Amino acid sequence: MDTPTLRGLYRDMWLIRAFEQGLEREFEQGNVPGMLHTGLGQEAVQAALAAHLEADDAFFPDHRCHGINALAQQRHAGDGERIMAELFGKATGVCSGKGGSLHSADPAVGNFGDNAVEGSYMATVLGVALAAKMRGEPKVACAIIGDGTVGRGEFHESLNMAAIWDLPVLYACVNNGYAISMPVGEGHASANIVDMARGYGFGCEQLDGNDVVEAHERVGAAVAHIRAGNGPRFLELKTWRWQGVFAGEFRPEAEVKYWREEHDPILMAADELQARGVSGDELEGIEAEMRELIEGWIDFAKASPAPDPAKATADVYVGWEVARR
Amino acid sequence: MTAETTTETAAPAPTASPASAEAPPKKPAKARKTSFTQALNGALDLAMERYPEMFLIGEDIAEMGGDFGVTRKLLAKYGPERVRDTPLSEAAIVGTCVGAAMVGMRPVAEIMFADFLGECYDQIVNNAAKVHYMFDGQFTAPLVIRTACGGGFGGGPHHSQSVEGWFLNVPGIVIAAPSNPADAKGLLLASIASDDPVLFLEHKALYRARGEVPEGWHTVELGKAAVARAGADVTVVASMRMVPMALAAAAAADDDGISTEVIDLRTVKPYDAETVLASARKTGRVVVANEAPRTGGLGAELSARIHEECFAELAGPVVRVDGLDTPIPFSVPLEQEILPGEDDIAAAIRAAYRGGAR
Ligand SMILES: Cc1ncc(C[n+]2csc(CCOP(=O)(O)OP(=O)(O)O)c2C)c(N)n1
Ligand SMILES: [Mg+2]
Repeated sequence: MDTPTLRGLYRDMWLIRAFEQGLEREFEQGNVPGMLHTGLGQEAVQAALAAHLEADDAFFPDHRCHGINALAQQRHAGDGERIMAELFGKATGVCSGKGGSLHSADPAVGNFGDNAVEGSYMATVLGVALAAKMRGEPKVACAIIGDGTVGRGEFHESLNMAAIWDLPVLYACVNNGYAISMPVGEGHASANIVDMARGYGFGCEQLDGNDVVEAHERVGAAVAHIRAGNGPRFLELKTWRWQGVFAGEFRPEAEVKYWREEHDPILMAADELQARGVSGDELEGIEAEMRELIEGWIDFAKASPAPDPAKATADVYVGWEVARR
Repeated sequence: MTAETTTETAAPAPTASPASAEAPPKKPAKARKTSFTQALNGALDLAMERYPEMFLIGEDIAEMGGDFGVTRKLLAKYGPERVRDTPLSEAAIVGTCVGAAMVGMRPVAEIMFADFLGECYDQIVNNAAKVHYMFDGQFTAPLVIRTACGGGFGGGPHHSQSVEGWFLNVPGIVIAAPSNPADAKGLLLASIASDDPVLFLEHKALYRARGEVPEGWHTVELGKAAVARAGADVTVVASMRMVPMALAAAAAADDDGISTEVIDLRTVKPYDAETVLASARKTGRVVVANEAPRTGGLGAELSARIHEECFAELAGPVVRVDGLDTPIPFSVPLEQEILPGEDDIAAAIRAAYRGGAR
């Protein structure tokens, strides 16, 4: 990977980290309604995926994908602040506040929306891919799923169908070691998710999702393979989330230390950039620039109006109006 | 052919032909006597011709033509890309439909038996019914899920259920429920043309019903009930198999000097409250007939609504005819204990006429 590409990914990762940290702060202050799942610690996975998905592609983000949503929104539409506004439930959000953190979508940038019934879009993505295949479009349809969703029946129904129909689907499984409190090796027949996918007969790879160089390269290869009409791919991206469970941290201290200090995706990329001669000042400048950008987005979200109450009953049906109280 | 295929021949013929009781269309289209199954098949064929973005998907629908023969011969005409067999993967079938519909396709799925909808309930309830709303109108889900429902043929607990109640409480979904071949065709074409997701209920006992079916592109507007039979004294609100039963019961009530109006809902969600309430106000005596279990079902909703909005005009309480609150047993005499029949509707008409509960 050349240095400008790595520098760009570093910047993207900082955009995500600044986004999530700013959001966390606002959430704690009571400015963000609902529940909050952040992608802190998983920035390399998201930056690598975002880098290869075009506006004409389709991705279904998971509940930790504010970052990829924001990157896609910023890159393809120039208005990443609308992802922040959506999380604040505001009229300027990408879904006018009707979706929130777990249901942000904008098809214009390829974002087909999260589904808080975790992993349901493992099946939905098949339809997007099938349509693309029937129409001869070079689209890649990507489902970003957590390790926890591998326990669902739809995982198996969907991988099977992707295989028998040879669909242009990328399953990107973010294995961060746990589903809430359930360690991946206890919840599944194998702690290596890739073992569970392999039986479906298409290319499956496991990779270090915190090494942005490796992740970017292998996601790129998988996307190119799918786009060229060669059928589905499955990637298991191994990572770790900073967020524990509601009551706090439950994971072993050594594990926390390893992932947060020795194997943090941003620190790893910074080391690599410095080894290539990029100065510490420049790296700090990127961080500061991203934090400033995100503070602007937060200000925008806070200053935005609440949705028009009439929105509450709009768009239940295309063909019928639902009566207001 | 699977063992399940034989259920078609085992299904009893309806007791009356509701099509013949309907007022003739304003501009009489050419009509042909056709079975319910053929009417559906013809509708799918016409729609496949009209909509290149449409495809059929389901288990054994291609070469075999579906468990009830509704998709027969369509594979030969449209090919395996558009008439797509699947493994036993109900969630993936409906998921595929939702995703394809989100990018402008018009998929029509067949779920072999309505009892299997539990397998794809999440896809229907949380995806098909919600993508339009939760993503602020940016997506639509113009898909149809056809499925065979209802009892009366010894299908047992997992092949006999009436499922409309499972979905009545789901905003965003449309439920079409024809009672005769003409409406089967008209509602199916309207469902395919609709940009809302439609659960299309095909009562198994009706598949062999025959009736006049208009040729060519014939649609029945979704959300509009039909007055299947006009009357002055008692209103029966029914759908699917309850309609021919209600018509037969109404004919029997004529002999007692009771003039009975039968409303065929045709779409059970969103249902045509205007037509139902107008008839209730006119007759002041109402029976709601429904095959599904009583508690929390369509009959409960209709009864509540009629009482709420027409209380002062009613001569007595609404009388409900429903299935009992049990699973459907296999043995036919046991099943008959559970499911409502023509006699139950006839008794309810007399009870309503007398002004009260049965
Ligand atoms: C179908 C479903 N079951 C359970 C939940 C509750 N839930 C929310 S997040 C979560 C864990 C998901 O774990 P994983 O997929 O590994 O994602 P992670 O949070 O670790 O990123 C669970 C069980 C849900 N939202 N959907
Ligand atoms: Mg996890």
